[in-house]
Amino acid sequence: MKRIAIPLFLGIVITSLQATLVMSLPIQRVRPDFILIFTVYLGLSYPPISGGILAFVMGYLTDLFSGNALGFYTLTRPLLFYAVQIYRSRFYLEGFTFQFFLTFIAALLEGFLVLFLLVCLSPSPLPNLYPTLFTVLLPQFFVTGLLSPVLFSLFDRGSDFVFGDYDESLKER
Amino acid sequence: MRIRSLFFLRRHHLLIFIIALLFSALVLMSLRVKQRSGVEFFDALWLELCSPFQRTATFVIKTVQGVFHRYVFLVHLEKETTVLKKRMAELQEENHQLKEAALANERLRKLLDFREKVPTSMVGAEVIGRDPSSWFKSVTINKGERDGVRKGMAVIAPEGVIGQILKVSPHYSVVLLITDYNSAIDGVIQRTRGKAIVEGRGENRCQLKYLLRTEEVVAGDVIVTSGLGGNFPKGLMVGEIRKVEKEGHGIFQYAELVPCVDLTKLEEVFVITESFLLPSGEEREKEKEKKVKRTPGGSPRGK
Repeated sequence: MKRIAIPLFLGIVITSLQATLVMSLPIQRVRPDFILIFTVYLGLSYPPISGGILAFVMGYLTDLFSGNALGFYTLTRPLLFYAVQIYRSRFYLEGFTFQFFLTFIAALLEGFLVLFLLVCLSPSPLPNLYPTLFTVLLPQFFVTGLLSPVLFSLFDRGSDFVFGDYDESLKER
Repeated sequence: MRIRSLFFLRRHHLLIFIIALLFSALVLMSLRVKQRSGVEFFDALWLELCSPFQRTATFVIKTVQGVFHRYVFLVHLEKETTVLKKRMAELQEENHQLKEAALANERLRKLLDFREKVPTSMVGAEVIGRDPSSWFKSVTINKGERDGVRKGMAVIAPEGVIGQILKVSPHYSVVLLITDYNSAIDGVIQRTRGKAIVEGRGENRCQLKYLLRTEEVVAGDVIVTSGLGGNFPKGLMVGEIRKVEKEGHGIFQYAELVPCVDLTKLEEVFVITESFLLPSGEEREKEKEKKVKRTPGGSPRGK
């Protein structure tokens, strides 16, 4: 229960910070997506069921505060979580470069998925989508990737601090 | 057979869970399209639960910004000189506070004047959060159903139109900005009275669509609301045309529009709690009754 409730609370706090602190940054191109970084972190460190539920809730919360009337992120965030879960055993997870590339590629994949859904589900063709992707979102994805190692390290330390004993007892078993 | 299915479930429980989770996301999406009340209730519940965090975060950010503007930057100045600088810092602080008060006063007076000028019932609200995603454009405000705010209501500022209410909870609402891809409002070119639809284009830009090719439109023309949609009163400023695109064929021309309100710096907004559908449902009913009465042998019940 603790393994779900604390990350859920943290997720709500991260969503609030994303909607207030990050969005108040003056330059739009350097606004990182903390919720995406958190979802990728969940993918790397959480089991499939509880992590999947948390990723689903993260997506739902993003949709809740966004102008997205359909709720794309409720679908894309669990997909992203499971994509990271599938490949986590095949890569070396430590190090700045890997974490940067993993988050950058995850953000890029989600971007293309949202773009695909927007193009498919909109009744009329939407203008300015591709220029937005390349001029605004790509730099954002890049900044998100750059920040991910720092946040991963913070999440790790927080996790050790909160669940330290629990994890150790699990290892002992 | 039942045992075999139980074994199957046990063996593939993870796969079944993943499929169920993704399927429920699709179902949620479908329910949102159909605008089912259950989803709206669930949204309102979570909005009510999470918005206080945003409100607190906004308060903390504003306080920290205030401290930085008022004190930390002044400490840097104090290092440069001694007593005079200290005195200057005090005066600057006082001056800053007076300026802040004057600016707030001016802003509030402007809002009050605007409220008096526009003869509609409105609710003032504060922006407490912005869209956490990069693709969409919305803001969260601190007024909800309890304050008379309903889905679809118009949101404006003294400078002009901001957007429409997208989601409502008892104390908070999400406003879809006019620059969002999903936003579309009815507009009129102020100079020529040509009608068009203003659609969001993301990144603080809108597009004027379905504007007849025969309409004369130039950069700098002002677009105002037509009042036909029913949510916005007629004549509110939407934006200014920046570029006109007349393609080689077709019956329509397109134009790029810059909103008159800087949507990246929103702090206070007004929600119009009155409908502008002309004639309104009640009026139509009354007119119908009148017509029935006027017709020979007709009665209000239509006997």
